[in-house]
Amino acid sequence: MHIPDGFLDPATCAATYLITIAVGVVAFRRARLAGEDAKLLVPVLAAAIFVAQMLNWPLPGGTSLHLVGGALAAILVGPWLGYFVMLLVLAVQALVFHDGGITTLGANVLNMGVVAVLTGYLVYKAFPERWKTVGAFAAGWLSLTLAGIACGIELGLSSQFLYGLSVTLPVMGGWHALLGLIEGAITAAVYAYLKARAPGLIAGGRA
Amino acid sequence: MRARQLLERHRRALLLTLALLVISPLFGVYLAELVGFHEPLDIAAEELGLEEITEEINWTPFLDYTVPGLPDWLGYVVSGLIGVGVVLALGLLLLKLLERK
Repeated sequence: MHIPDGFLDPATCAATYLITIAVGVVAFRRARLAGEDAKLLVPVLAAAIFVAQMLNWPLPGGTSLHLVGGALAAILVGPWLGYFVMLLVLAVQALVFHDGGITTLGANVLNMGVVAVLTGYLVYKAFPERWKTVGAFAAGWLSLTLAGIACGIELGLSSQFLYGLSVTLPVMGGWHALLGLIEGAITAAVYAYLKARAPGLIAGGRA
Repeated sequence: MRARQLLERHRRALLLTLALLVISPLFGVYLAELVGFHEPLDIAAEELGLEEITEEINWTPFLDYTVPGLPDWLGYVVSGLIGVGVVLALGLLLLKLLERK
């Protein structure tokens, strides 16, 4: 999911940076109004998601499963603080470990910090209270699927790649729809655990 | 002040994060080597005919969660500690910026 340097052309890099920064400005204004408890959770959640992303379970055939965490962040602290949780994770991964490029950081934050977070939040919110765990699963699944599709669109629009959207969309979208099942399962499991053991944390995402 | 509040309020979550970090080489190094792991996106990109230029323009000594001079598993844990430290520090800075006037 982390797009490295060299996969996107300069125009796509610039466009994705611009969108990500624009959303960031809105997110910053809205996040200021969030409750203190939710704010205090941001650094901890970012650290936990950073480590969770290091726990990749490799599968024979050369792929792996690990949490992206956009939906989980949105559920726990709301979409605006969730944006910053993912921004912290992705910026540190790119700048300190070169995991994801710096020219593509805008695109990566757009996919995992905007698309995944907003999708996760909206899906979770759409479910009634008694079905929230199912909602967390659906939020995790759809957040990763749409983030994968966004990634496919960026790759398809970029002139680095000759074949265009008709190839990139099915490859990225299909792949992530499958990986999204695991994202959904982990999101729902963490949600159910926290709801039982630390219900105060679940109530934090109201911004 | 905020740092102390963070430690007091979320000590268990931070300890759990550190515990996960300690076992992370099992996943990120041992199992990865066992099955010949590559990033899913890299495989998709290969199918699409893209080439990444990460190695050519690398700027960090901690590329791909390694630390020069340390075995991979230990480098992975140390990288994780560095990452968690930087994330928490930047997170606290962000909280300062988000303070209501």
